[in-house]
Amino acid sequence: MRIVCPFCGERELGEFTCLGDAKPVRPAAGASEDEVFDYVYLRDNIAGEMSEHWYHGGGCRAWLKITRNTLTHEICSVEPAAGAGARQAAR
Amino acid sequence: MISSQPHRLASGGLIDRSAPLNFRFDGKTFAGFEGDTLASALIANGVKLVGRSFKYHRPRGILTSGSEEPNALVELRTGARREPNTKATTAELYDGLEAASQNRWPSLRHDLMAVNQLFAPIFVAGFYYKTFMWPAKFWEAVYEPAIRRAAGLGRAAGIADPDHYDKAWAHCDVLIAGSGPAGLAAALAAGRSGARVILCEEDFALGGRLLADGGTIDGMPAAEWISRTLAELATLPDVRIMTRATLFGVYDGGTYGAIERVNDHLPSPPEHQVRQRLWRIVAKRSIVAAGAIERPIVFAGNDTPGVMMASAMRTYVARYAATPAKRIALFTNNEDGWRTVETALGAGLQIAAVVDARPDVSAAHRALAAKAGFPVLNGSVSGVDGGKDGVRKISVALAGGARAEVEADGLAVSGGWNPAVGLTSYHRGRPKWQDDISAFVPDGAPPGMVAAGAANGAFGLGACLRQGFAAGAAAAQSAGRDGNRGTPSVADDEAFSLAPLWHVAGKGKAFVDYQHDVTAADIELAQREGFESVEHLKRYTTLGMATDQGKTSNVAGLAIMAAVSGKSIPGTGTTIYRPPYVPVAIGAFAGHHRDENFHATRLTPSHHWAAEQGAVFVDTGLWKRAQWYPRAGEKDWLESVTREVKAVRGGVGFCDVSTLGKIDVHGPDAGAFLDRVYINTFSNLAVGKARYGLMLREDGMVYDDGTTSRLAEDHYFLTTTTAKAGPVMQHLEFCRQVLFPELDVQLTSVSDQWAQFSIAGPSARELLKQIVDESEDLSNEGFPFMGAREVSLRGGIKARLFRISFSGEMAFEISVPARYGDALVRNLMLAGKQFGVTPYGTEALGVMRIEKGHVAGPELNGTTTAADLSLGKMMSTKKDFIGRVMAGREALVAPDRQVVVGIKPTDRARRLRSGAHIIPKGETPGPDNDQGYVTSVCFSPTLDQWIGLALVERGRERIGEIVHAHDPLRGENYDVELCNPVFYDPDGGRQRG
Amino acid sequence: MAEFSWLPRSPLEHALVVGACGAREVAPGISLTEIRNFDLIQIMARRGKGAELANAAKARFGMAAPEVPKAVSASDVTLIWSGPDQFLVLSKGGKHAMDILSQAFSQSASLSDQSHARALISISGTKARAMLAKLSSLDLHPASFPIGAAAATSIDHTSVNLWRGNDRPDGQAVFNLLVFATFAESLWHTMLDAAAEYGVDIGHSAEV
Repeated sequence: MRIVCPFCGERELGEFTCLGDAKPVRPAAGASEDEVFDYVYLRDNIAGEMSEHWYHGGGCRAWLKITRNTLTHEICSVEPAAGAGARQAAR
Repeated sequence: MISSQPHRLASGGLIDRSAPLNFRFDGKTFAGFEGDTLASALIANGVKLVGRSFKYHRPRGILTSGSEEPNALVELRTGARREPNTKATTAELYDGLEAASQNRWPSLRHDLMAVNQLFAPIFVAGFYYKTFMWPAKFWEAVYEPAIRRAAGLGRAAGIADPDHYDKAWAHCDVLIAGSGPAGLAAALAAGRSGARVILCEEDFALGGRLLADGGTIDGMPAAEWISRTLAELATLPDVRIMTRATLFGVYDGGTYGAIERVNDHLPSPPEHQVRQRLWRIVAKRSIVAAGAIERPIVFAGNDTPGVMMASAMRTYVARYAATPAKRIALFTNNEDGWRTVETALGAGLQIAAVVDARPDVSAAHRALAAKAGFPVLNGSVSGVDGGKDGVRKISVALAGGARAEVEADGLAVSGGWNPAVGLTSYHRGRPKWQDDISAFVPDGAPPGMVAAGAANGAFGLGACLRQGFAAGAAAAQSAGRDGNRGTPSVADDEAFSLAPLWHVAGKGKAFVDYQHDVTAADIELAQREGFESVEHLKRYTTLGMATDQGKTSNVAGLAIMAAVSGKSIPGTGTTIYRPPYVPVAIGAFAGHHRDENFHATRLTPSHHWAAEQGAVFVDTGLWKRAQWYPRAGEKDWLESVTREVKAVRGGVGFCDVSTLGKIDVHGPDAGAFLDRVYINTFSNLAVGKARYGLMLREDGMVYDDGTTSRLAEDHYFLTTTTAKAGPVMQHLEFCRQVLFPELDVQLTSVSDQWAQFSIAGPSARELLKQIVDESEDLSNEGFPFMGAREVSLRGGIKARLFRISFSGEMAFEISVPARYGDALVRNLMLAGKQFGVTPYGTEALGVMRIEKGHVAGPELNGTTTAADLSLGKMMSTKKDFIGRVMAGREALVAPDRQVVVGIKPTDRARRLRSGAHIIPKGETPGPDNDQGYVTSVCFSPTLDQWIGLALVERGRERIGEIVHAHDPLRGENYDVELCNPVFYDPDGGRQRG
Repeated sequence: MAEFSWLPRSPLEHALVVGACGAREVAPGISLTEIRNFDLIQIMARRGKGAELANAAKARFGMAAPEVPKAVSASDVTLIWSGPDQFLVLSKGGKHAMDILSQAFSQSASLSDQSHARALISISGTKARAMLAKLSSLDLHPASFPIGAAAATSIDHTSVNLWRGNDRPDGQAVFNLLVFATFAESLWHTMLDAAAEYGVDIGHSAEV
């Protein structure tokens, strides 16, 4: 598999690690135990297009959000994480 | 005197008669020429019998001339280089080659296992499932070993392969598989366009079928066209032609696998060279011009030596000038088979008869027959009379119902051609049926790939050239290469007509899969027993499951199944195609990564100094760490480790702890960031101070620990455990980039920047005073416990000094820039001489941390909470942090959790072992009363007995209780006392002193 | 009081043997030269400070720092892209050492000294690309990896920074490789293994 890192260009799979479902968002401080439980444990595993967190640890160390078809391994989109590099995220 | 190659033609062929080669087969010496394969050289020497079959030990000869060969499998080379199941048809001849036939005992001609043929009725499809059923325990003890001895093919060498293999990457615009007319035309079109082209050809010669079949291209003989084409390709700088290289797989994103047999054609690789190289090729586009494979017709006795594919027969004659037979019969159902007649007649061989299943043989062929004086029989071959010495006679069932017999010493068979659809089908593609050629052709392909020429079902030479050229041009264009590509080469298209014929009924075994000894009757039986689905058929009969992957057998097998089940062939369908296209040695996949190069290793800055001291090293992840430093006269590791511990506790020692992960945490929000990833607070840590920190996973379990120091307002220096250095960095980057992008914080690994040493023991301060500049105040007031700051060393080097202790002693950790690490240990030895300074390894480090009750990897094992480790009070209640909410779950705060306690054997002389289960005293061990387990043990020189740490239910409330340690793995049972895990200096006076 | 010497020791000091290695019957196809004693500082922009960092870099080095995977050189310094909004400053002799650069970038970036964290190896020769093809999954074709191209990548699961310097006087391409110091000896052996068939000429130098 080849992934086009938005910073490094096209690289081979071995430079990346996959963390899994990127949909769950970490609840804010003060969230209930149920909300945090859902965040920690409820992960989708879709046969089809799914967004995932990937880490370019063997390259520029950016975290990426990759939309990938788990049936065909086709990569539909690759975006950097909100805080990759020095991007200024909204406070 | 070596035999004189009686079956070699006096002239012609692509062999070099000026380069004779000697080789041995089954101990007998023969001669061949450069340009021969082992198969062609055996044929030139009149050898027909080359092996015995898998189940029935039937005599077998050479069936094909390529990598689809199911019969002529030999053990090539000897000793450690002996390689079983090597195809004689692709093994290049070299001087001194040694090969042996397989699957026979005591000899190929007199194989006692051929008695299996008498038991043939029990070896039918599924015989494993039917025959060796009772008694059940006999399977492992008797049946399986016996079957494995009797079956199987060649013998593995059984010793380490002495040769080297490597792996490499290549990149191109257009990748082409095959160098026949379609492949070369594609390379020309793409190369002229300016594309970067790689062409892989598994043969050692380029040209594909042109090498044997010739023809006229652009008005010149094929051989001349090949050499002109190659000459032009050689002028194109970005066209790379790889021979002896088989494209074996297609992977995601335009990545392909190829195996290059770099030096298989030599007795052994030249010095510094590899035997084989595995290529991972990244291509924007690919063209499969891998040709087609001629298919057999299934009839009784079709495995007799001397029965050969028609195309192979003419390959041996035309390309290798070797004659498989003198008087040849041809059995064909198509026009192409007749080419063999023309080639044989051209070489002065006799044609006994042509048996053509088609009623309408062309006038030209009839004229040829009349002129050469052989009969053309409309019908099919129904039996073969012959044996291990070859074919003697064939029986023919004539179309009208009559029978005929033909005397011949060789039978060429052509059942039509199957396009090589493997590569195009590896992404679960299913080929489609094409009626006019009665064969499966590609129906789509993985992204970026197309098939061209015979691989695409276009069998005419002109069509191959046109398709190849067009595919090469289109591929180059879509890769953005638009140079002037000229015009395609031109050739006529041969007529192709075929009357489908798969199986001729007759008496005797009719083989579909030669390598696995699967017969037409086996397929019929499978259908009767309900294994009608192709995937069931394959597994029940093992059709197509041998190392040839059914290249000559699959379609015939499907056709027979279709016939008996009353379905069409496309309705019966194909099985899933999977790589590799040809067998690939595991050594090639491993490449350089074997023995000491199995994985990368990391060396600490003091490694070579430690090696000079005779240190024993232990693999810790990728690291080599000094485990202990044996001294002359010490009888075992325990004695060395005990000495090291006593030296530290009584004086001073040092240990290289550079393996800890080290991370620079920078930025205005560095403190706030650390507050979110650690359970305790770091934003309030004073500059110049260190603090122990604990991280949880988001599920509330402990993740990692270590000390973090604040070196400046906006700069923290964080350490991780050795094992988690990489994962923690990844986790922190996740926190920084994904979870908390609003924080202004930057992370950099500085693990390799610093050589870090622990200096521990009552004399640690005195030793350090020798090393640091005299202006530095190391007193308890000037440098208190958990102090952290930069200091100057004598001689002008800057170091970082941390007053932290893992051993429980008065201790410092000192960091110097890594290239000074070696100098630092040497200087510590020099300065420490007066204090008896002792280097210690990871064992002594471990002993001292257990004595001190510090948790480490065995306790931070992913199942423990901070409270389990008696660190619950560190959890801040004033802030959010990773794992906070989940750590509060009912089960994670339950009072009966297993928590860390110390253990001591009641018998002081007893040795402890980690992994033992803790059971209430007096009870019979079982899952219901299993209350925990021993995590870490050591012999404590300080207490002069074995001690340990354990995770025990309600352990902290049970200090003083005697429990039972049950170790079923080692068969040990003994009593231990639960105790305070801090065995040494529980009030901490020594480390603060 | 003992006299201490503080000789720096390169992570390749033990493994590197100056001279010829591998196949001898051919002219060496590979030159491997370790560059010793350099200053290497990692500079990472602080949040939202990319533009400030670019200005500060231009002021300090007289050239723009690379914002894409490239390496740029002036007479006394090379700036190598190492990730989004970050680059490495390679120099020697202390002119661009940590304490000096910290001043220049205190408002816009976080700096981390990597001078001792890496080994620097220069690879060239007629077979340099063939040898690197065994180690690196990158496409190093002249058109894909021209002079000044840089990459943060992995070799044998080991992170490296690879960039193409100016060609040698004989026209051969030069590839520079920074590898983490504790991995350096292991990678060195892997490189020699890959290079042996082409013949290797090994040396070291203090010139960046």
